[in-house]
Amino acid sequence: MALFAIFQTTSFLTLLSLRTYQSEVLAERLPLTPVSLKVSTNSTRQSLHLQWTVHNLPYHQELKMVFQIQISRIETSNVIWVGNYSTTVKWNQVLHWSWESELPLECATHFVRIKSVVDDAKFPEPNFWSNWSSWEEVSVQDSFGPGILFVFPKDKLVEEGSNVTICYVSRNIQNNVSCYLEGKQIHGEQLDPHVTAFNLNSVPFIRNKGTNIYCEASQGNVSEDIKGIVLFVSKVLEEPKDFSCEAEDFKTLHCTWDPGTDTALGWSKQPSQSYTLFESFSGEKKLCTHKNWCNWQITQDSQETYNFTLIAENYLRKRSVNILFNLTHRVYLMNPFSVNFENVNATNAIMTWKVHSMRNNFTYLCQIELHGEGKMMQYNVSIKVNGEYFLSELEPATEYMARVRCADASHFWKWSEWSGQNFTTLEAAPSEAPDVWRIVSLEPGNHTVTLFWKPLSKLHANGKILFYNVVVENLDKPSSSELHSIPAPANSTKLILDRCSYQICVIANNSVGASPASVIVISADPENKEVEEERIAGTEGGFSLSWKPQPGDVIGYVVDWCDHTQDVLSGFQWKNVGPNTTSTVISTDAFRPGVRYDFRIYGLSTKRIACLLEKKTGYSQELAPSDNPHVLVDTLTSHSFTLSWKDYSTESQPGFIQGYHVYLKSKARQCHPRFEKAVLSDGSECCKYKIDNPEEKALIVDNLKPESFYEFFITPFTSAGEGPSATFTKVTTPDEHSSMLIHILLPMVFCVLLIMVMCYLKSQWIKETCYPDIPDPYKSSILSLIKFKENPHLIIMNVSDCIPDAIEVVSKPEGTKIQFLGTRKSLTETELTKPNYLYLLPTEKNHSGSGPVPCICFENLTYNQAASDSASCGHVPVSPKAPSMLGLMTSPENVLKALEKNYMNSLGEIPAGETSLNYVSQLASPMFGDKDSLPTNPVEPPHSSEYKMQMAVSLHLALPPPTENSSLSSITLLDPGERYC
Amino acid sequence: MMLLTHHPSSHLCLLTLLSPPLSSAASISPAEPISQAYSLALYMQKNTSALLRTYMSDKGPFSDPELQLSSLPPATAFFKTWHALDDGERLSLPQRAFLALTQHLQLVEDDQSDLNPGSPILLAQLGAARLRAQGLLGNMAAIMTALGLPIPPEEDTLGLAAFGASAFERKCRGYVVTQEYGHWTDRAVRDLALLKAKYSA
Repeated sequence: MALFAIFQTTSFLTLLSLRTYQSEVLAERLPLTPVSLKVSTNSTRQSLHLQWTVHNLPYHQELKMVFQIQISRIETSNVIWVGNYSTTVKWNQVLHWSWESELPLECATHFVRIKSVVDDAKFPEPNFWSNWSSWEEVSVQDSFGPGILFVFPKDKLVEEGSNVTICYVSRNIQNNVSCYLEGKQIHGEQLDPHVTAFNLNSVPFIRNKGTNIYCEASQGNVSEDIKGIVLFVSKVLEEPKDFSCEAEDFKTLHCTWDPGTDTALGWSKQPSQSYTLFESFSGEKKLCTHKNWCNWQITQDSQETYNFTLIAENYLRKRSVNILFNLTHRVYLMNPFSVNFENVNATNAIMTWKVHSMRNNFTYLCQIELHGEGKMMQYNVSIKVNGEYFLSELEPATEYMARVRCADASHFWKWSEWSGQNFTTLEAAPSEAPDVWRIVSLEPGNHTVTLFWKPLSKLHANGKILFYNVVVENLDKPSSSELHSIPAPANSTKLILDRCSYQICVIANNSVGASPASVIVISADPENKEVEEERIAGTEGGFSLSWKPQPGDVIGYVVDWCDHTQDVLSGFQWKNVGPNTTSTVISTDAFRPGVRYDFRIYGLSTKRIACLLEKKTGYSQELAPSDNPHVLVDTLTSHSFTLSWKDYSTESQPGFIQGYHVYLKSKARQCHPRFEKAVLSDGSECCKYKIDNPEEKALIVDNLKPESFYEFFITPFTSAGEGPSATFTKVTTPDEHSSMLIHILLPMVFCVLLIMVMCYLKSQWIKETCYPDIPDPYKSSILSLIKFKENPHLIIMNVSDCIPDAIEVVSKPEGTKIQFLGTRKSLTETELTKPNYLYLLPTEKNHSGSGPVPCICFENLTYNQAASDSASCGHVPVSPKAPSMLGLMTSPENVLKALEKNYMNSLGEIPAGETSLNYVSQLASPMFGDKDSLPTNPVEPPHSSEYKMQMAVSLHLALPPPTENSSLSSITLLDPGERYC
Repeated sequence: MMLLTHHPSSHLCLLTLLSPPLSSAASISPAEPISQAYSLALYMQKNTSALLRTYMSDKGPFSDPELQLSSLPPATAFFKTWHALDDGERLSLPQRAFLALTQHLQLVEDDQSDLNPGSPILLAQLGAARLRAQGLLGNMAAIMTALGLPIPPEEDTLGLAAFGASAFERKCRGYVVTQEYGHWTDRAVRDLALLKAKYSA
């Protein structure tokens, strides 16, 4: 025990003495001051790199030391960073340490100093810090070169969302410097008169060609310099997603992942992130050449477990994901091949395929999908290498698409890709009878039956329908039947049958066989049942129909109608309804608003004879009438008129006509009885009368005022509204007296007409009574006597036979033609050729009788051409005293005087202006009675009637110049009884 | 404003005196090469704005249009000075400018293929502009030959200064080059139009 105590004491003393020695040694060499401090810069990384050594370290001895580093900016007193750096220091070791500055080093001078302390467990406390090293100045501004403005950092690469400090150095403090980030000015903090820094927080990614930042130095408005930088902002590298590996054939592992955003930047500042695959069990690594997949070669058959790490890396960041898996659990088979179909018939087929073999005794799970007729069926089957599946319950004549995919049955990982093939089943006979209906029209002695059938659905046709057989059997004469074969795709046929009962069968046929027959019976009795048509209201969804059930047994009901009223063949439709149903809804897209649809409902008896039960008609949507009636105004009186529109058809309208609105406008403010006030669409007021009966197509508008102006307008209306607005028709009621006038005038006119007719009928009698024929001297025998003497200019007449009457002097200006009427025409012609004749005319005034008066013409030898050219022509009545003057006129002078006198007398008797002819004295012809008596003394010498000279007094000397009118008016001077020659 | 006018016949007389009398070049009519050069310049003019627009849309905004490259002569000139230029100066100035431009366009093309290889439209437009500038140089040389004028020798305008530029400087010089290409094309159209009118008779 004592020995142990001695040993313990000795050991303690020894150790104490050793520690004391060491302390003395260190104490002698302390402080362990950092020396040879050198600071270098890396502008790209904006870092200061320090290196130093520690003096006074024992030879071959290691010490843990702590170095405190101080960094100042611009001046030593401005310490911006202080930090400790702990490391184990060996003898003669050069120590390195770096510091990254947020401010580009070019923008400010930095100062660095360092001190140290021993922090080693071998040396007990207390430890003392060494003295600071001297400040080491770091400045890179000297290397700028020429220029007055500099912007830093150049082409820096940062990550999106990081904070960046940029700065500029302006050598001329008098310049005004403005800086812009992508064109927008930014504001910074002035570090000294030459340097300003800008802190950009959370910089965004703008484009992979970098963000443009520039500064412009200017004095006044003069730009001195522009300098800029491009800040390359990288998107943050994302962790790869959906990383997985799988084997297709136990030789290659195929690894895939979603790489996320590409972080590549322009100007090779940063390439796209790289991907590396590392497998930890084997320790192998592979740099992937694609950014979203990589193949790994399986070299060791024994390795079944793999631990993969996918590392994504760019200049700024590294990210990785890891998966651990068993190879056999990640089998992704290649898609099956050699897909085929065997023994394909109408309803089944056998599908076969093969799978790429993985290993022996491998079991595969395969999935089959069968697509056809819009349906999909799915089947699973477990196979070895060759697959086979029996596809049943297929539809005939149908194209199917079958496909298959497989997976590892023992460890399901993933289905392979699909492999598929199309096939078509064979045809089968149609499975259903076609749906048949008919239209029967009766003709004398015949039924015309138009058969319609609907094409079989694909489901029931079981192939392509080639033709339809229509078998017509006469039920009254069972031995006779006809077969009509109608090629598809016809869906109707017309049969003309006599008045017997017929059974008609329609059978659809395809290449394999015939469908069941569809049977319909046409009764021998015509469908003469009168059925009342009922109006129904449709909706946009269709027509809801209901009917009374047919008494007796029925096998069903049929509703038929026509979609297109224009074309029965293409628009005929029908619907079969079960025997227990007495209502249905007919809905189809073919129904149009404003079209009337007629529905007929038939009951089908057990003998398949159709019986018309009900008729219904209606509109899916009624519209307002499309046109207005053409209105006639009848019996217009001063107090009323009648409007009628009998021609207006109410049936062909886009709605059921419910009646008519009669609008009447008048000056009266009050409406007539039965009318009510209404306001038209244009705001004007009028009176309105409503007719509720669509067949009432006339209206008497009465209680009107005579000679008043009325306007009316008639428009029909349906439940949807009135017809189109149109212009009002104007009516003016007549004067009240006008009718009275008509009552008087009409009989008067009638009477006059009657008299005229009577006169016409009795004209001969009147003529003979009032206007006997006048003998024509030219036709008398005296003319032959004149001709006999061959002197056409001389007419010798026995004056004693004549009664002096009147002389007509014809004096006509050259070129003027005298118009004569009626019997005077021949005279006119004569006058033109013989202008110098004087005409001796008898005057009726000298005759108390009314017998014809002969007229004799004399040649007037005293006429000269000038006188005859004066163009005066007329008949002047001779004074009844003329015969007494006969003796005085034997000498020319007397004649002249007598002429003058008579002329003046004539002027005195005849109103001036009406006369155009002058007077000539005459001798009355002694002849009376019949003109035939003239030739009795044809050659007797004249006693006193020979004229030696006659003087014609031109009218224009005393009267206005003669005109054609005046010559005509001269005729009016003649008595009505005068005759012209 | 006074415009100096030159009678074409006096120029022709002067040219006749200055040119060697038996020179085959002088015997060629300048009208045809002028017309060809003018047509090419007009065609180039239609595409310059599209080139600049593509460049700007790809690179982001720059501020001052007065950015200049010392290696590229400016196209701007006082009108009076420009109008008073003789044929030799009128042709040799754009000749030198387009010579420099072809080199600068090549430089920008290189810059851009480095900056963003996935921008084929800009690279194609830059390449087309460079080829057209070279074509115009050839046409101008033909005119100068026809007029008996000396053709300026080809110079390396870029030298070593092209390397070591920052991304911003490269972006800017691309901008300046595409812009100056447009300015010089505009000026060439005016120059050639004037020459065309002068030698059309």
